[in-house]
Amino acid sequence: MDYDVLVIGSGIGGMESSIKLGDMGYKVLLVEKEASVGGRMILLSKVFPTLDCASCISGPKMSSTINHPNITTKTYSEVTGIKRGADGRFTATVKEKSTFVDWAACTGCSDCQMACTVAVPDEFNSDLAARRAAYIAFPQAVPKKAVLDREGTSPCIGACPAGIKAHGYVSLVRSGKDEEAFQLVLDATPLVGTLGRACYAPCESECTRTKLEGPVPIRLIKRFAADQHYAANGATPSGPAVEVAAPNGKKVAVVGSGPAGLTAAWQLARQGYQVKVFEKRSQPGGFLRHAIPSYRLPHEVVDADIANLTSIGVQIECDAKIDDLAALKAEGYDAVVVATGTQNATPMDVPNEDAAGSVNGLDFLADVANDKAPDLTGKRVVVVGGGNVAMDAARVSLRLGAADVKVVYRRTRAEMPAHHVEADDAEAEGAQFEFLVTPLEVLAADGTVTGVRLQKMQLGAPDASGRRSPEPVPGAETTVDCDLVISTIGMSPDATLYENVVTVGRGQRITVDPHTLQTEVPYLFAAGDVATGATDITRAIGAGRRAAHMVDRWVNDQPMTGFTALDDRIDTVTHDQVLSRQTAFGHRNPIKGAVDLAALPRDFHEIESPLSEAEARSGAGSCLDCGVCSECQECVHACPADAIRMDKRDVETEVEVGAVVVSTGYKLFAADNKPEYGWGRYANVITGMQMDRLLAPTRPFNTVLRPGDGKVPERIAYISCTGSRDAQVGNPLCSKVCCMYSIKQNQLIMGALPLADVTMHYMDMRAAGKRYDEFYEQAKDMGAQYIRGRVSKVTEKENGDLVLRYEDTEGTGEIVEAEYDLVVLAVGIQPNRDVERLFTDEQLGLDEYFYVAEPSEDVDPGVTDIPGVFVAGTASGAKDIVDTIVHAGAAVAQVAAHLERAAVTQEAEVLA
Amino acid sequence: MSTTTSPTGHALRDPREVIREEMTMHGVIKAALADGPLTVPDLAQAIGHPAEEVLYWVMGMRRYGHLVEFPDDDDEGYFPYGLPGKGA
Repeated sequence: MDYDVLVIGSGIGGMESSIKLGDMGYKVLLVEKEASVGGRMILLSKVFPTLDCASCISGPKMSSTINHPNITTKTYSEVTGIKRGADGRFTATVKEKSTFVDWAACTGCSDCQMACTVAVPDEFNSDLAARRAAYIAFPQAVPKKAVLDREGTSPCIGACPAGIKAHGYVSLVRSGKDEEAFQLVLDATPLVGTLGRACYAPCESECTRTKLEGPVPIRLIKRFAADQHYAANGATPSGPAVEVAAPNGKKVAVVGSGPAGLTAAWQLARQGYQVKVFEKRSQPGGFLRHAIPSYRLPHEVVDADIANLTSIGVQIECDAKIDDLAALKAEGYDAVVVATGTQNATPMDVPNEDAAGSVNGLDFLADVANDKAPDLTGKRVVVVGGGNVAMDAARVSLRLGAADVKVVYRRTRAEMPAHHVEADDAEAEGAQFEFLVTPLEVLAADGTVTGVRLQKMQLGAPDASGRRSPEPVPGAETTVDCDLVISTIGMSPDATLYENVVTVGRGQRITVDPHTLQTEVPYLFAAGDVATGATDITRAIGAGRRAAHMVDRWVNDQPMTGFTALDDRIDTVTHDQVLSRQTAFGHRNPIKGAVDLAALPRDFHEIESPLSEAEARSGAGSCLDCGVCSECQECVHACPADAIRMDKRDVETEVEVGAVVVSTGYKLFAADNKPEYGWGRYANVITGMQMDRLLAPTRPFNTVLRPGDGKVPERIAYISCTGSRDAQVGNPLCSKVCCMYSIKQNQLIMGALPLADVTMHYMDMRAAGKRYDEFYEQAKDMGAQYIRGRVSKVTEKENGDLVLRYEDTEGTGEIVEAEYDLVVLAVGIQPNRDVERLFTDEQLGLDEYFYVAEPSEDVDPGVTDIPGVFVAGTASGAKDIVDTIVHAGAAVAQVAAHLERAAVTQEAEVLA
Repeated sequence: MSTTTSPTGHALRDPREVIREEMTMHGVIKAALADGPLTVPDLAQAIGHPAEEVLYWVMGMRRYGHLVEFPDDDDEGYFPYGLPGKGA
């Protein structure tokens, strides 16, 4: 048996039970769902009727609990299931939720929460103020350790094939930390400016804000951060933009300087490798420079991104075509990364394809990028294909003066692989589309293109990709006259580099292990389109990161694992999860980029405008913080103890125990279920728990203020029995503590705000017990007023003051209205029905009010209907603190009797 | 969408939404307080947001050391809040 007793919940009942059982010598496991022990009592101002400081009483108990030699405490943990065995013992499953902080290292210094960029309501202050996603529960927390509130991976991060922390840089820009945002992207790839312009932003497609009025402009926010950085630091930095490890004496060659190769080089160089990139063209960048037109991605942006690499010592040798991979190894490179992309255009395989005026899209775009653009003034151009290269070729043709550009595609627009924005923009600029046609022949006269003969097509059954297959319409042909035919029907890797070294796969791709990107030749890795076929920039960047990681693992003889950026993300939160956190969402006009789309454009100026600073802040401000923690890494940088562990995960264990004490406490009545009192609609209507926080030494405001405008209230009203003794809201029971905690607060308010008038509207004053009635009389003597009569309605005035309507039952019997600055609802106690999920094989019995049942509470308090399971405190019904402690004592005695009885029985069995 | 409009002229927004905006409002609030501390109603008027929302932001900023309160010298019932080191 692992423990004698499992105690669930560390409020005053749970702590008292644990301490007493520990004192008796029993081994106790205490499980608490919050990050600190203490429950609600530690959050109170003072206790009645003694007005002792709640912290002063709770604090020593919290400390005793944590430090007791016989108590093992698991905070931020949950019991997810308990089963009773045939021997009467219990097997409990305990989930220790990840705090994402190494508590052994954490000193509770608060630097993480000071640096955090995400604000959320502070449940430990009854949502009156904000806490941070990185937080310490409250100042007196025991243990005083930080937690990162991570509900999951934000959908924008989960959708990024590059593993870039989109939520992180959005929250940084929201906080005005533009350089930090740039650095966060730079941590993944040097291509920050490029991604800010040319990425198709899968993050935005998954943005939860899309379910409201439109996505956060994530890509343009990244561009904003990049533009700010390059404007401030220059596009050709003289020194490293990041920290670089000391040289490790190892060399890596990267063949190809597209996004995969550049990213792999960047990551390896930062780890201390000597990296050289070999590029066969005269300028680096791969498709970023030679395929993406400069009106979408200016060459100076590519240059600035590449300068990030060279600033940390990466060598880039251009006009350096590699023919022999083995020779690189022989030259002393420890590993080689092949990242040569998809350089070969797929031929149309139609007659006259080699006529003058018939080109492939890749060569056409590369010529334009290298200042070898043909003059197309007045020319008619046909672009064959429906992908992004087709759209680029069409739009570039228009910019080169073409009079007429027609895109011909064998399926319909719905099946076009081009990004819909690219197709829409091409059309807006004047490109025409002809669908359901495929080329049969390039028409030529004297070896020069005159047109294209096209076969008309129709859609048949879906193919393997799910798209309907085009089929020829027999006998249906058409011709289009033109001067230039640009073929963009596909592309594939050039396998001549590796076909004699490793296995060539489908579509001429290099064959790799998809997890490690290692080929069958151990020193040879491959990343990006050369291994996957044509994809996009983000996937290439993700592959570059993976290849760099795996090269490092292989070179250092480490297991080929641990690529956490993409392989170990926690589950992505769902849109419904995020949207269910709020009752309503205010409308925000979506921030969108301005694109200069003129018909028949004739130059290559960048068509998309950057966000202004105000737009960037506002756009970032629309982020819903889906995962809660944004993964911005500010806490990681701020923590002096290096205690942040983003890779920590939940741990589930099974323990065997001899008995269980349920001390799961209560829930407070949700005050918005009494809409006539206005809580949640009127800012100056608060609950009793909120007032206790305002009165506590660790209060959220500098003193007692009304939340509507920060005014020190002078007229304060209490409404008792809010949500208790009220069958209409399903709670006919008296909550037992509301009258007394209201009187306590009345006295404390009169101490804190000597000029304030305090009035309590009550049904019956329940002050039974030693010194309780005296406490009530004392409040009256201090000046508090008590008016008998149920308040029927609260209304709000224009200045935020509140009008209470009630029957003056002790006076004239008339309906009276009274005006106050602040109204406090003395909300009642309700059962915590989470207990219903504790036991998996049998139901823990509940009474008719859904509290844990004590079948013989008058003679056997604390005993439930499951042998060996006991209840302590308010889990079995409303109790004040004193009664809770007494009840816990009873439960402890019952537990001890049960355990001793079991031990005696066992001993007797052994002797027999 | 938000609930019924109250006599104060606007409906209360969900606290989570208001609190989430605190980070965006830091710069705006600091700029408004550059010339000296303001009470919550005055700050609300200066930046054009409801006072109860401004209170959330002010108290969040105060908690993490971006703002401090100053004495209510005129005894009007409202504390001024300002930037640390920049007195009333």
